[in-house]
Amino acid sequence: MDISEVLKSIENTDIASSIRDSLFLFPMLESIHVIGLALVFGTIAIIDLRLLGLASTHRPFQKMASDILKWTWIAFTITFVTGAFMFTTNATVYVHNPVFQAKMAVLLLAGINMGIFELTTGRSVRKWDTSKSPPVAAKTAAIISLTLWISVIFLGRWIGFTTTRTSIQNEAPLNLDDLFPGAPEDSTTPNKK
Amino acid sequence: MNEFALWLSQTYPSVLIQTHNGWMIPTIQSIHIAGIGIVLTSVFMMDMRILGLAGRDQTLRQTTNRFGPWLMWSLVALLVTGILMVIGEPVRELVTVSFWLKMFLIVVGTIVAAIFMRTLRKNEQRWEDAMTKRLSIKLMAIFTFLVWLAVVVLGRLIAYDHIWGAWSPAQRL
Repeated sequence: MDISEVLKSIENTDIASSIRDSLFLFPMLESIHVIGLALVFGTIAIIDLRLLGLASTHRPFQKMASDILKWTWIAFTITFVTGAFMFTTNATVYVHNPVFQAKMAVLLLAGINMGIFELTTGRSVRKWDTSKSPPVAAKTAAIISLTLWISVIFLGRWIGFTTTRTSIQNEAPLNLDDLFPGAPEDSTTPNKK
Repeated sequence: MNEFALWLSQTYPSVLIQTHNGWMIPTIQSIHIAGIGIVLTSVFMMDMRILGLAGRDQTLRQTTNRFGPWLMWSLVALLVTGILMVIGEPVRELVTVSFWLKMFLIVVGTIVAAIFMRTLRKNEQRWEDAMTKRLSIKLMAIFTFLVWLAVVVLGRLIAYDHIWGAWSPAQRL
């Protein structure tokens, strides 16, 4: 079975079709996805700002990481699950969408960045745990992490402007002329797509 | 409001955003979402501290000192990007029930946060010792977090206002 058949069978599952058929499910999945990613981004930013020595510098890094990262992972799970449900509704289109591909690649890079940090600088955490200004390698990892996660947000929002799902068409801006039949023509107002 | 939305859509700043629709709207929305991340996480960390589920090595005051200013300044950033989105797509935003419900809940959330910060500053010791142990305060922490979650949901629903059916002003036009 090749990949396009796999994608088709994902789209044909009961879950995928009930999300497609529902007025509420897709917007609700999107909303919970935003809540999840907001907490993922925010909690990661807290850690990264600590690594950069810009905030929470009086707190030992390890204590902070164990306090906060569990919430990051809970939020990431919520985001992943809601994202996966949205994916099922239109798997083929998403897989072939360059913006979606880029987002997945950037997520992967964020994971690799985290892995490298854990295996290198993270190993020597005892040496700089209470330092107000962690080593350059830690700061570099933090800057890469912040850049990648902000990119994930941008790419994610862009996906909504590049897919041709039926419910996305509902998201198209209202046509002013339909709302105000008597409105005078104004040549300075460009037609929206 | 409909006339105002129409008028706004024909002003120069609105036309400017509309003509750069391809990248301006998604860019502003993305900055807005990053701001939501900071607001929601700041509220989350303070509420979790009150509930005793995070930051227990920190005093309540240390926690609010750390996250209060971030909450305030990211709310300002959200206001700015939010106004830009309204200018760019006035009808899409203003002619929806989701938008106005969202505005109402933002006011509620902001007032609760402001009162909390004020009373904490006045009765710091009492807050540290006793207040966070009270059930009513814990319920208040859960309530405020739910308010901000509802703000996020309503923000997303602006794009789907038809799900409100007859309640949506766009349906009545």
